[in-house]
Amino acid sequence: MLLSDKYKKRMSSKLFQFWRFIVLNIKILRAVDHSKRS
Amino acid sequence: MAKIVVIGSGFAGHTAAMYLCTKLGKAHQVSVMSNNEKFSYIPSWVWVGVGHMAPEKTVFDLGPVYRRMGVQFVHAAAREIHPDSGDQYVVGEEIGTKKQVRLDYDYLVVATGPKLNFAGTPGLGPEAGYTHSICSLPHAVKARDAYLEVVEKMKQGQKQRIVIGTGHPGATCQGAAFEYLENIHKDLVKKGVRQQAELLWLSNERTLGDFGVRGMQVKDKDQILHSADFIEAVFKDHDIHWQTQTGVTRIEPGKIHWENYAGEYGETEYDFAMLIPQFQGQPFKYIGKDGADVSARLVNKAGFVLVDGIYDLPYDVLERNPDAWPSAYQNPNYPNIFAAGIAFAPPGPISKPHITKNGTSISAAPPRTGMVSGVIGRVVALNIVDLIKRGRMTHHERMSEMVAACIASMGDSLWDGNAVVMIMYPIVPDVKRFPTESGRDLFVSLMEMGLAGAWMKFMLHYTFIWKFKGLPGWQIIPE
Repeated sequence: MLLSDKYKKRMSSKLFQFWRFIVLNIKILRAVDHSKRS
Repeated sequence: MAKIVVIGSGFAGHTAAMYLCTKLGKAHQVSVMSNNEKFSYIPSWVWVGVGHMAPEKTVFDLGPVYRRMGVQFVHAAAREIHPDSGDQYVVGEEIGTKKQVRLDYDYLVVATGPKLNFAGTPGLGPEAGYTHSICSLPHAVKARDAYLEVVEKMKQGQKQRIVIGTGHPGATCQGAAFEYLENIHKDLVKKGVRQQAELLWLSNERTLGDFGVRGMQVKDKDQILHSADFIEAVFKDHDIHWQTQTGVTRIEPGKIHWENYAGEYGETEYDFAMLIPQFQGQPFKYIGKDGADVSARLVNKAGFVLVDGIYDLPYDVLERNPDAWPSAYQNPNYPNIFAAGIAFAPPGPISKPHITKNGTSISAAPPRTGMVSGVIGRVVALNIVDLIKRGRMTHHERMSEMVAACIASMGDSLWDGNAVVMIMYPIVPDVKRFPTESGRDLFVSLMEMGLAGAWMKFMLHYTFIWKFKGLPGWQIIPE
């Protein structure tokens, strides 16, 4: 497996990464919410 | 009035103390005994180690926080635990004065973090050895200074070999070492000397991307992406060489000696090396009422505190029994003693161990990250609150039920930095609940690299320091 040019562009695209910043934070908070039930 | 003593003020101990004092109020006495009067935000020492963060930005004084929260803080190194009924106390040595300090307890939380066993590998470490470490702040500062000297040599045109990884066949914390390696790579690129460096990842992992948790598998559109393939792709892109299945056995100036899975002995030359030491439990004396050594009732051979796990299972049995992992972190012989974070004895490794033909165990120990340590600290604290208020515990969470979110920094710049964001659920694979090859929930588990991760890692630094200072809203911020 190699990191494709498309993948590398997405990794550094400010707009795309801003979207991922929001999505990843929501995913983490949802996953962590499961842990808070203990 | 109940007396609760917490030994340790890191992610696990400090979290436990904060929940204890908040839930119990002034009716009960919460005390913290720690040899460190500052809280250390350890994840950022990777950045200290490459000179990208000032050391003082990663610590803060605990005294004012504990005074505000009503926690008694004793700045002492714990030395003895006397656990027998009717005579339960901790003895410490006050830092500075060396006076003996005694703290009586009704409940005890051992949250000491690891003893960094550099002595387990001759020649390892910056004090009595030849390699560097980012496992303590003074070590990270020393590593930074040595690394910057190596950079200067590269600027003069010299080639340098930098070796990062694990310094003992049974070491853990490969994630932190990976972060350090990738931050070095990024720093060298930015300084225009990357072509002068040969970077080598030297590790006891079974495969790349194992990280002591048996690696990760995530869904990538219609395919399954393995962390081994992912990390290999990253290393190829970054021109980083790697050697896994390797246990470092001793170090001499400029040379690392190792044994690999095949039982072959070899050596690797280096100019700069950062290798994580083996972790052990803190070497307290556990003394019974009659003065007898009761450590066998409390700790395993490595000094980690025995809790409500099932121990001594062969790996193939442990792998199929996720319930062997502890859920309340309570010692079975002394039910008022708990262990949180790295201090508790895991029932075994998460990754498959390996014994070479020479009898050497090259087996990555299970990591306990800051998040996991914080969650366990919270579970332990709430269970102690339960015992005081209700007489029974209601909080349980095994690592085979726990989610972990990890962000591995690969460059701290907010403009062109990078990090891998990983969500792993559960941490310890459970093939009964998730009958996939990985034993994890493929809908929740995630592995993604990009600038967003660098922003998140930066955000975590400030958010968690806010949380650990007990500032308004601290309980809303997840562990």
